[in-house]
Amino acid sequence: MENIRVLKGIRPSYNKSLILTRLGYKRGVTGFDEDFQRLLDSTIKRAENLCSLALAYRMVGIDENDNGAVRLEDGTVLSGKALSKMLSQSQKAVLMASTAGSHIMEEIRTLMDSGKASEAVIMDAAASEIADAGLDFLMGYIGTFLRRQGKALTKHRFSPGYGDFNIEQQAHFARLLDIKELGISMTDTCMLVPEKSVLAIAGIIEIKTD
Amino acid sequence: MTRQEFKDYFNKGIVILDGATGTQLYKSGMPVEACPEKWAAENPEALISVQKRYVESGSDILYTFTMGGNAIKLSEYGLKPQTRELNKRLAEITKNAAAGKALVAGDISSCGILLEPYGEIGFEESVESYKEQVKGLFEGGVDLFVIETMLDIQETRAALIAIRELCDLPAMVTMTFEDGMRTLMGTDPVSALVTLQSLGADAVGCNCSSGPAEMVDILKAMKPYAKVPLIAKPNAGKPRLVDGNTVFNMDSDAFCSYAEALIGAGANALGGCCGTTPEYIKKLSETAGSFPAQKPVNTTFAMVSSNRQTLVIHRDKPLTIIGERLNPTGKKFLREALTQNNMDKVAQLAREQMEAGAGLLDVNAGVPGLDEKTVLVNMVQAVLDSVPLPLCLDSSSPEALEAALRIYPGRAVINSISGEEVKMEKILPLAAKYGAMFILLPIDDKGVPVTAEERIGVIKRVYDTAKSYGFSKEDILVDGVVMTVATGGQAAGETLKVLSWCTDNGFNTVVGLSNVSFGLPARENINAAFLAMAVAYGLSSAILNPNSQQLMDIKRASDVLKARDSNASEYIRYYSSQKSVGGQASQPAKKVKPTAFEAVLNGMGDEIADVVQADLDKGLSPKAIIDNSLIPAIQKVGELYEDKKYFLPQLIKGAEAMQKAMEELGPYLQKETEAGIEKKGTIVMATVKGDIHDIGKNIVVLLLRNYGFEVIDLGKDVPADRIIQAAKDNNADIIGLSALMTTTMTEMPKIARMAADAGLKVRIMVGGAVLDNEYARSFGAHYSKDAYSAVRLAESLLKS
Repeated sequence: MENIRVLKGIRPSYNKSLILTRLGYKRGVTGFDEDFQRLLDSTIKRAENLCSLALAYRMVGIDENDNGAVRLEDGTVLSGKALSKMLSQSQKAVLMASTAGSHIMEEIRTLMDSGKASEAVIMDAAASEIADAGLDFLMGYIGTFLRRQGKALTKHRFSPGYGDFNIEQQAHFARLLDIKELGISMTDTCMLVPEKSVLAIAGIIEIKTD
Repeated sequence: MTRQEFKDYFNKGIVILDGATGTQLYKSGMPVEACPEKWAAENPEALISVQKRYVESGSDILYTFTMGGNAIKLSEYGLKPQTRELNKRLAEITKNAAAGKALVAGDISSCGILLEPYGEIGFEESVESYKEQVKGLFEGGVDLFVIETMLDIQETRAALIAIRELCDLPAMVTMTFEDGMRTLMGTDPVSALVTLQSLGADAVGCNCSSGPAEMVDILKAMKPYAKVPLIAKPNAGKPRLVDGNTVFNMDSDAFCSYAEALIGAGANALGGCCGTTPEYIKKLSETAGSFPAQKPVNTTFAMVSSNRQTLVIHRDKPLTIIGERLNPTGKKFLREALTQNNMDKVAQLAREQMEAGAGLLDVNAGVPGLDEKTVLVNMVQAVLDSVPLPLCLDSSSPEALEAALRIYPGRAVINSISGEEVKMEKILPLAAKYGAMFILLPIDDKGVPVTAEERIGVIKRVYDTAKSYGFSKEDILVDGVVMTVATGGQAAGETLKVLSWCTDNGFNTVVGLSNVSFGLPARENINAAFLAMAVAYGLSSAILNPNSQQLMDIKRASDVLKARDSNASEYIRYYSSQKSVGGQASQPAKKVKPTAFEAVLNGMGDEIADVVQADLDKGLSPKAIIDNSLIPAIQKVGELYEDKKYFLPQLIKGAEAMQKAMEELGPYLQKETEAGIEKKGTIVMATVKGDIHDIGKNIVVLLLRNYGFEVIDLGKDVPADRIIQAAKDNNADIIGLSALMTTTMTEMPKIARMAADAGLKVRIMVGGAVLDNEYARSFGAHYSKDAYSAVRLAESLLKS
């Protein structure tokens, strides 16, 4: 198994409109005035400044992938039919972690407690989007190096809690990625703290050249 | 090959590079898990075979097969000690393949690990790693170098510095840009170009990531600012999923059909990256070979950059504001922050100045008793982490300047280099080595010249010396030297004469504005008047406090008056977006005061207290305000949300305004013993045990309260027995539960059972990301998909 790589302070680009989508914005239907636009912009900007993104990734070999059970090179077994299908062309995979950090969560709580729930939900959605953008960044970063080896990452990634890839398997990721080094801990109920943290896996596949 | 010979070579015509080599070698049997460099060195015939085909196809330059040949990358295979030897051997193999028919470029790329502060590799460690590789390639006889497939401008700089500190061979640099025309680390094509060409790259461009179509736009962006030839080495399109396989699906004809567009956009050299083969290069050579060389633009713009942004400074462009606030002189709070290494304050000052309109930030770390070198580097890093603006490094210490220039991931300005011997001897070479612009301060060892003529003499002398280091006028900002007018005399007039001479002679200029009013009262007036006069004489940039509204107003107005703000577009944009710019004529129409209904509907939490008070003053009763305005308004907000005309933050803002109105009415309701909103029922709300995500529950609580429910909010991670007890104690009608995860939602049926066992006549309503109707029904509960449906659900449960 290759070493864990840690990246901190990255400011990945992301699509701001996805923050609005998370909040229920429907293009062509939902409308708001300039004052509201300013509130959105300034809150999202504050969220960007409060997020201190920390990322980690690690390449792992896949020893066996048998109809819903993916056995990694260290013996860890990940269960899930959709995951198994996604990794069906892969001999290797990459495990990834991304967290927006604790400052933003403190600010969201402060806003909520001080009666600024509207700002809190905007910031909450922005933090979710930025943590996800961290994983997009990692996939782009890793993909660039893989491309020259004639390889690529699967288009999609999977996180524990999606479909039948149950949340308890978050514990495997936590161990293999040593997430405490990123300042992430996991509760007995497999929740990540800070809350805006996300773990995922993507497969490595061959690119055909002809 | 000398750098001049390289330049001449590119002037002859379109240069053809090679195509993908690694994928060809994999086809020849190179094992996927092998170290590619080691395998190729041990199997030279395979590499020579591929590279000879590229020469036969028309490649003018072959890349050595050493992309992963830096010491850090090779250490992954335990080959770090062999870095130099392996690179030398691979250079020799490619020289052999070229057989004098093509030039050989020593290929350098990323080590695969990000540099500090983002990753684990130190800048100097990176430079040293590349130096080992450069030495090997040089000894193997390469004609030039190419740094390629770079994602991070800082690592690219490390590689280029490694080359420049070891030899004077030409160096081409290509970076990889993603969709959105930025590298993955956020650098745009122009900033990459400006940074790299000033640091000594002999050609700049892009490779990998995208296909040829996307690269046309990247080259078009670079061309107006390019002093060096441009390169495009695209993939054979973007990888796509075809019949379950990931493939590069652009064939050689389609690929080469973009050659004309790429050359038209400014390409001087073309090649292929992933997915291309000798066949692609052959067609490319046939297509592109007939086009004449593209001439670099003879730009006179002064250009500075950070890793994310480029700024063009020019006497015909809007005045550049250089923010002066990151200077501890006379700022106790900043001195204290720097002493405590508190960089949050530095980041805050940087952000404030950017938002106020600064285009460039001056950074000064001069605090007595502190190590200026360390503080300056820390300040630069803190500013780069917080804003995208380029920086002006303000120090007279060559050591501090070099430390900052070395890690600064763009093209900085040095503030300043004067005619003093020591400055010219120590700092000019630094500016040249790192490609920095500099502020030319026309003073010399005799002190500050009083007259403009004497200052112009110093300017000419420093410029003559700077030319010998390769500088031209556009690399310099001449400081007009502002002295206070408090002592009388012609201090301001002499500065204006210097500015006028500079403008007439093609120099861009700068002034440190606030000196002019030193010792006088109401300094802002003097500063503002002088700024306007200096702009009239062609001033290009000013170091000032951008938080001064007066100075920024003068700057924007002066740009219009000197036709430096085309069609006054920036002026109109700025002042149109301001609510008030002061003065009667520019006052916007007075806003009509909203009604209480409108204030809730539009979420006007800051105004509603006044509106409600005004209604009370008019004699309306609190109950009338609630029944006739507030309740209909919050119901309308709900309807708009259900129709998706409002989204969640608007729904909540309406509720917040409603809440503030109720707080305002509270004392009157008590006084008049009137009921407020008729209570619809009592709800105990909790996020279940083990679950810490409670923002959704908090929003439901806010809305329920505003729609007339009595809510007892128990918070998050609440044990089941506490929820049951609270329901009993408060005679609750409903228990509302939230859970985000499958691991915690199992608490919900448990609580429902406990409520039944306790004989509570209570309804259970639930919500959360992983829940649905089916799950809720399985234990007799009711599900709501969002906060507003929870209100509707609660209302219907109480009616049924």
